[in-house]
Amino acid sequence: MKYLLKEETVCADKEFELIKITDKVRSFVSESGVVNGICFCITEHTTTGITVNESLPCVEKDILETLDRIVPEDYPYNHNHYLDSYGTIGGNAPGHLKSHLTGNHCVFPVIDSTLMLGHADDIYFCEYDGIKLRRYMIYVMGE
Amino acid sequence: MLIDAHVRPALFEPICRDKSRLDSRCDAMHYHKMNPTGMDLLKKQYNLAGITGVFLLPSDCSFETGSTEISNDEIAKIVALDPDLYYGFASVDPRDRNSAAELIRSFKDLGLCGLYLNTSRLHIYPEDARIFAILDICREYGKPVIFHAGLSFEKDALAKFSRPIEFESVIAKYSDINFCLTHMGWPWVQETSALLLKYPNAYANTALMNFDGPYQIYRKVFREDMGELWVEHNLSEKIIFGSGSPRIRPVRSKRGLDSLGFSEETRKKIYYGNAMRFLGSKEN
Repeated sequence: MKYLLKEETVCADKEFELIKITDKVRSFVSESGVVNGICFCITEHTTTGITVNESLPCVEKDILETLDRIVPEDYPYNHNHYLDSYGTIGGNAPGHLKSHLTGNHCVFPVIDSTLMLGHADDIYFCEYDGIKLRRYMIYVMGE
Repeated sequence: MLIDAHVRPALFEPICRDKSRLDSRCDAMHYHKMNPTGMDLLKKQYNLAGITGVFLLPSDCSFETGSTEISNDEIAKIVALDPDLYYGFASVDPRDRNSAAELIRSFKDLGLCGLYLNTSRLHIYPEDARIFAILDICREYGKPVIFHAGLSFEKDALAKFSRPIEFESVIAKYSDINFCLTHMGWPWVQETSALLLKYPNAYANTALMNFDGPYQIYRKVFREDMGELWVEHNLSEKIIFGSGSPRIRPVRSKRGLDSLGFSEETRKKIYYGNAMRFLGSKEN
């Protein structure tokens, strides 16, 4: 059994952005040499997410706009206050909540050295609190 | 055009390569759990907010601590990386007898464009002969002055030394120097407003990060602590946008201010024109 981890960095161009990472994940699965197993894709941050959806600009826009409606920027969140442990204002409550709604990881089978995705599927790194330098993990287990 | 007139470059990567210096800086300035940020990433963040100019404020309490937290040379180093974007301010510790020489060096040799002082950390009142000696140099070189005003989260800082009304005699005495009080002098916002109303050379910046998020704190300060129309009718030429980064991200701070619904004319002044006039530009 092999256990292989890769950490990738990513930096959005906008404050809120869905960034396609399908090719990066496929590429690592291919490099890993795992023929049959499982692949996890996991973000390392609490104001980002990992998700799967169809790579159409209209769908991407709908996802972001719907999250904005559910989690409005100007709501008086509990997190919006001075945090002495940081010395900063906790101004990113919407990012935390969108991250919570999206989830921090996705899981995919690896069969015959191929990452198994549905025909319309793409994997996204979801930035909800940009612009920052971010990291996510790709973890492949198998034989 | 948008100028952020209140940025502490404590976590700018080019001046963070000495780990022990970075640690002592963050301890003194009370910044925690944050990592240094590269210049390219900062540029992206400024572009996102539409920021075209940044005032960099140093930190010098060295008479007591033995070392500056952010030196004038470090400010000059960052300015040199992008002189069209950055406006570097100098700082000195007026208790140090070399402070006059250091300030002259900062203006003449480093080309810094003004002075920043935090009397809360220095534990001296603005009306102090040692500060007057420093202000005489600013007058001679025609440089504006930013005073920290109101509560400071920095280590050992006491707000009584920077209560806005304490600056009145200084602003009156040096009527040919432009002064900017930071943080609207919070929590003494009405004292700050009074100084802005009376003295043509008095300005204040909007770096507010005390209670709530930016939407709530700006509404509280500019619509409740201050009368509903004070900014539009009297103070539109006296308030300068400043985020207070890194305690709050500039894009977020600006969104809070935008939400107040000031007229476009007032917003243009707050976001750009007033900062340029404060610096001495005749065009705005």
